[in-house]
Amino acid sequence: MAMHPMEQFEVAPAMGMEHPLFHLFGYPIYFTNQSLLMVIVVAAASLFLSLAVKPGRLVPNKTQSLAEVSYEFVANMIHSATGEDGLKFFPFVFTLFVFVLFCNFFGMVPGSFTVTSQIAVTFSLACLVMVIVIGTGFAKHGIGFLKLFVPHAPWYLLILLIPIEIISFLTRPISLSVRLFANMLAGHTMLAVFAGFVILLGGAGGALSALSILPMALIVAIMLLELLVAFLQAYVFAILTCIYLNEALHLHDQH
Amino acid sequence: MAQNPDELRKLGQRLDEAQQRRVSRPQGPPPTQLGIAGRFSTELVAALVVGGGLGWGIDWLLGHFGIHTRPVFMILCVVLGAAAGIRNVMRAATEINARLAPGGDEEK
Repeated sequence: MAMHPMEQFEVAPAMGMEHPLFHLFGYPIYFTNQSLLMVIVVAAASLFLSLAVKPGRLVPNKTQSLAEVSYEFVANMIHSATGEDGLKFFPFVFTLFVFVLFCNFFGMVPGSFTVTSQIAVTFSLACLVMVIVIGTGFAKHGIGFLKLFVPHAPWYLLILLIPIEIISFLTRPISLSVRLFANMLAGHTMLAVFAGFVILLGGAGGALSALSILPMALIVAIMLLELLVAFLQAYVFAILTCIYLNEALHLHDQH
Repeated sequence: MAQNPDELRKLGQRLDEAQQRRVSRPQGPPPTQLGIAGRFSTELVAALVVGGGLGWGIDWLLGHFGIHTRPVFMILCVVLGAAAGIRNVMRAATEINARLAPGGDEEK
């Protein structure tokens, strides 16, 4: 019995929560498998990070140094992308990075649910980033933030360039969210498709059953690749957030 | 406590070096070929989608006020969206170049 490869992305009410929690504008609001995974991710990340640094050893053990390395990693990333004054966004970027990273990694556990393979989740995260970027820009530069849309060019070209810049800016939440969503969706679909091959070949009997080792080996390889992608996409999401924050903080000039 | 001035100077040097490293540390993993390809294609497609959507929205809005511009703004904005997409790709390429430059030979 081969399962449908897209079945794993189905959002359904979590087990034991089949009744809607409440109604919003007439729509029933459920506690879904996705909500459950997000709660688990947030709990696991908070628990891991707080327990890892709790002993406060001067010479860290493995767990503590893992937490410290991730702290340093994000701090360095913000510092290099936005300069000194970007560091006040550290809590935001770090939370974002850890959340996406843990969502991606928890999605790798067979049988669980990949929260970041839902465009609704990634697009909400991207919108949150954009709201903070725009808020920062207006708070720092006031109405002068709109100069972001005015490149250095003669005035007759600006008629063309300003709409282009505005569209280019509006593209960001979409490209930011689609990249994460598409990567996770593609990777997990691929895994499910090859897993289906294993089952089909194994059930075929005879010499064909022996061949099922081939897609199995491929799954192991793809799994490793997906672990890399899980980290890389969390990193890309965080670094792009930093780059957008940098533009809001410093407009056109480099830091 | 290091009371010896020599030791203090050495400590200062080491602190300076650490600070230098902190500033000029090469950042994160270098982007993979697949990552770059994915980045460029999403930027292009997303800009087209946003441009088309924006134009369609303007047409729809004007239609409500009785001004029938229907495909004009959409066509215009799709073209602008394509331009914005290319702009985005160029910007992404500059970013990637900047990230690869300090290391020099990180490219495969």
